[in-house]
Amino acid sequence: MPTNPLSRRGFLLGVAATTALGVAGCGLGGSSDDNADSGPVTGDVTGEIKFQTWALKPKYTDYINGLITAFQKQHAGVKVNWIDQPADGYLQKVTADAAAGNLPDVVNVPPDLSFPLARKKLLLNIDTAMPDARKDYLDNAWAAYAIPGQTGSYGFPWYLNTGPTFYNKALFRQVGLDPEHPPTNYSELENDALVMAQRSDKKIAMLGLTPVIADFGLYGVTVMNADGSKFTFNEPKGVQFVEMYKRLYDAGALIPEALTANYTGAGTKFMNQQIAWAPGSAYDLQNFKTNAPSLYANVGITKTITNTGKAVLYVQGLSVPAASKNKPTALAFAKFVTNAENQMAFAKLTAIFPSTKGTMSDPYFSQDGGTDEGRVRVAAAKQLETAVNYTPVQWSEQMTTLLQQKMSDAMQGKTSPKQALDDTVAQCNKLLAG
Amino acid sequence: MRIAQQRWFTPWLFLLPGLAVVIGFSLFPFLNTVVLAFTDAKVLGGGHFTGADNFVRMVRDPAFWTAVGNSALYIVGVVPPLVVLPLLLALLVERKLPGITFFRTAFFTPVIASIVVVGLIWTWLLDTRGLVNDVLTALGVLKTPIPFLTDQWLLLVSAMLVTVWKGLGYYMVIYLAALGTVPKDLHEAAQVDGAGWWRRLFSVTLPALRPTMVLVAVLSSVSAFRVFSEVYLLAGQAGGPGGADTTLVMLIQQVGTGLTGDLGYSSALSVVLFVLTLGLLLATNRLNRQEDL
Repeated sequence: MPTNPLSRRGFLLGVAATTALGVAGCGLGGSSDDNADSGPVTGDVTGEIKFQTWALKPKYTDYINGLITAFQKQHAGVKVNWIDQPADGYLQKVTADAAAGNLPDVVNVPPDLSFPLARKKLLLNIDTAMPDARKDYLDNAWAAYAIPGQTGSYGFPWYLNTGPTFYNKALFRQVGLDPEHPPTNYSELENDALVMAQRSDKKIAMLGLTPVIADFGLYGVTVMNADGSKFTFNEPKGVQFVEMYKRLYDAGALIPEALTANYTGAGTKFMNQQIAWAPGSAYDLQNFKTNAPSLYANVGITKTITNTGKAVLYVQGLSVPAASKNKPTALAFAKFVTNAENQMAFAKLTAIFPSTKGTMSDPYFSQDGGTDEGRVRVAAAKQLETAVNYTPVQWSEQMTTLLQQKMSDAMQGKTSPKQALDDTVAQCNKLLAG
Repeated sequence: MRIAQQRWFTPWLFLLPGLAVVIGFSLFPFLNTVVLAFTDAKVLGGGHFTGADNFVRMVRDPAFWTAVGNSALYIVGVVPPLVVLPLLLALLVERKLPGITFFRTAFFTPVIASIVVVGLIWTWLLDTRGLVNDVLTALGVLKTPIPFLTDQWLLLVSAMLVTVWKGLGYYMVIYLAALGTVPKDLHEAAQVDGAGWWRRLFSVTLPALRPTMVLVAVLSSVSAFRVFSEVYLLAGQAGGPGGADTTLVMLIQQVGTGLTGDLGYSSALSVVLFVLTLGLLLATNRLNRQEDL
């Protein structure tokens, strides 16, 4: 025990100071005082900005550097500092930056990440800040950054992707299913999956993932109410959908690991030829070719199964934080990166699709050149015209975990599909209300 | 400068850099967490004082009790093997034999291996269609694969196995250092009295190693209570089927991360984890002192 009063006083002062700091730190960061919706942004395109991408280095370093150089040439006095964050932990990085009020001037944010940021007024409303921009982009892509309950859109759609579905012809053949006629609707998928499990004595499974929220959308379930204020996927169609999965699980057509696997894990199972059916994108085909040549030799490509007639749309976009110190330059650069010409160049480098109007009429998206990649590209491009982002922007990481946990309970028979969905919806609505 | 001429604050000046680091990176985050535990703070701003609401919620939250149960079970499953097995290993590799360095290195290798790599390797081994199941099925030992990673209890046991496997070498090194301090004359005296290897182990070595064994028990139980990586890597983000294998740290992570993270509740969980860990340490210390009497 210290007897020196100075030591004791020093100690107490230290504790008091840190407690004060702690209290002050409560609720660090958060909403921006800057007006996110204050009208068109005007001003000179000049000065420095920071541009953050998501795992584009080193594969697309030259492309991004080329964009930056071209933009800097167009606008004297501009300097763009490019930061690329690794794929893992990107959400945490953006979260930390947002909480600290330190987001870069132009940042790659997928729609579901834009929602909480926009709700806290941390992102610029592009519709207001740059009213002319909207007309250059596909309506469904622009809508992906619209926030229910708020007007406007909070990101420039950058690049798009969509189906198809891949299947393993060798596994189909092994159980006597016709590899040239894959299932085309949910009923056929269930039948084929049950046949596969039964004929292989549960050794070959069709599916590797319990349904995620986008699957409910594809099945035609009304995931949210009209104003986006409540989740509704516990409706009868949702229950019917989960019941189908339960039948598949019981029969061994859905692998046990599906109870704990995520999207990436299920993709790996398909790569390892442990499941026969997996949703994917044109990008995956390149991945199979490089990393799973024996799968690639047997991979079948078919349309995404949906009851809505509309395939799933994946969107990536660029947002400008409301607190950016150089909004005119940030907006101009985000628009430049996502313009038709630059997106087209990007699409030719990798298996993505532009979000700009008119670009999809380029022969590159209508002529397959006789290759598998070409066929996937053309088929996907056709799907994109009507594709929908089935994952609501309000859907969060916690909700994904919750849905998986409840689906797992339903598959194991710990709760009924109806109860599992009721519980999930109730808890998700609680999270949504915040 | 003579010591007598020093001002009262001179020692504080020397302490200042270290104090700044401790306050900035340990004390402040700790106190901030305690403060946040009494608020409804979210990751993106806000937060009002809500009294003990988070703690009341915790008591009513089945996920909390599952997590505490799993963390407690983890201690029971991991600590005894981590106290005994590294000791046996240390006794084996203590001898000066040709090539013994190779074995010492081999046993220590898992300690320095990345936990992510370790998790992936064990996932490949224990998967329903993994190496262990494939080999046992091919040999005809199994008809249906063992659900190591999909059954609630087997998954927890598998994670414990990985923790024990990865920790063996670390505690082995601690025991090796302690074995070097066991008085040789006691061994020699016992040998003269006709004591065999086992007798000397129980009458000389183990009593001399008792403080080290307590230290290993304390260290391993605290880290077992705070387990995250092994369970996360084997059980997935959702914490096993239906979240049944979630541990306390996993729950903190699940609740508090993401842009919609519930910072207040996860801070309250962190405070409880701190109190439980501290309690564990104090209880072990007390037991240790009682035995000394």
